[in-house]
Amino acid sequence: MNLLIESVLTFAAIIGFGIIFSVPRRALLLGGCIGVVTWLVLQTGTAIGASSVIATVMASLTAATIAHLLAKKIRIPVTTLSIPGILPLVPGSRAYFTMLSFVEGEYIQGLEYGVETMLQAGAIAAGLVLALSIFSFGKGIGNRYETGH
Amino acid sequence: MNAADEVMDICLLAGEIMLTYGAETYRVEETLERMARAAGFTNVHCFTTTTGIFLSFEERKGKEDLMQMVRIDDRMQDLNKVTEVNQVSREFTSGELSVEEAHERLESIYHSPVNYPIWLIHLAAGVAGSGFSYLFGGGLGDLLPAFIAAIAASVALVEFERYLKVRFAAELAAAFLGGSAAIFLVFIGLGFNLDQIIIGSLMPLVPGVPLTNAVRDLLSGDLLAGMSRGVEALMTSLSIASGIALSISLFI
Repeated sequence: MNLLIESVLTFAAIIGFGIIFSVPRRALLLGGCIGVVTWLVLQTGTAIGASSVIATVMASLTAATIAHLLAKKIRIPVTTLSIPGILPLVPGSRAYFTMLSFVEGEYIQGLEYGVETMLQAGAIAAGLVLALSIFSFGKGIGNRYETGH
Repeated sequence: MNAADEVMDICLLAGEIMLTYGAETYRVEETLERMARAAGFTNVHCFTTTTGIFLSFEERKGKEDLMQMVRIDDRMQDLNKVTEVNQVSREFTSGELSVEEAHERLESIYHSPVNYPIWLIHLAAGVAGSGFSYLFGGGLGDLLPAFIAAIAASVALVEFERYLKVRFAAELAAAFLGGSAAIFLVFIGLGFNLDQIIIGSLMPLVPGVPLTNAVRDLLSGDLLAGMSRGVEALMTSLSIASGIALSISLFI
């Protein structure tokens, strides 16, 4: 029951965000669905005992993968789908408590929250990177040596 | 006016719209190079940072290269325009659109208003704010105050951006007003979890587009653009944090 309310509210919130970012109409509902899936993956990850960073990587990877697949299908830039997809993972709560701790002068506590915020943000980026590397397979550009010659 | 000049114009117009309204750097470079090649020019090079686009190509062998730049002053978020320009460039590259038609389409995209009316954007900010306040651990009773506070923050952001030229000042003012509204609503007895209401009301201000683009730019090797976008997102987040810190230390 609780999960149902959360899913409905995630859907509504992501649609709201889609309107704020002015996502085109045909991608609005899809973005909301991806957001709900992301939230469910995050909850599942936490429920089976993964740490919040690992759960976030999994959720972000799922969101980015679905976004890449759908974007190819309906011919739309990937960002219009991946941004709504990763929104439920944004560590807004931890960022706020970081700021609150610093305001109250509890610097050690603030640093702890700050590190957690950075890790969470890094985990979202890692998920995006993984999905991107999967979908750019075979388009290597070469970093150190000219391969493929 | 010759053909090369017109192609240069539509390429730069497309690039300007995309970069202003939140496309990734690699997408701008790729789109411009594809459009110039599709028009039959060689030696196409495009260099894009967060604040400007350079494009150069050769009309035919032996003639001097053409080179132009545009400066991008504003950075807004309107992913609909990015999608539409993407569509125009796709049709232009596959030969369905002539240069004149593409120019007309791009001009109309450039001058068209934002996809959704402004009242709907404020309302959407309210819905997003109240939804996130619940997801971050608030109760059902906190939905209404978070809704009101998020709308206050969103209205403040849009109105301040209209009058203030200083970057990041609008975010600071919006965060301050949103936080003050949340504190006031809890003070008069509407809502219980102050922290969650404040977080919810500030979520619509989060710079989601620059953050995601920064990651994407850094990964595709556009280091300069990625760094500057990342710094922009960081500055926005810091000004939101200072705004809310100000209201908390003033009123609590």
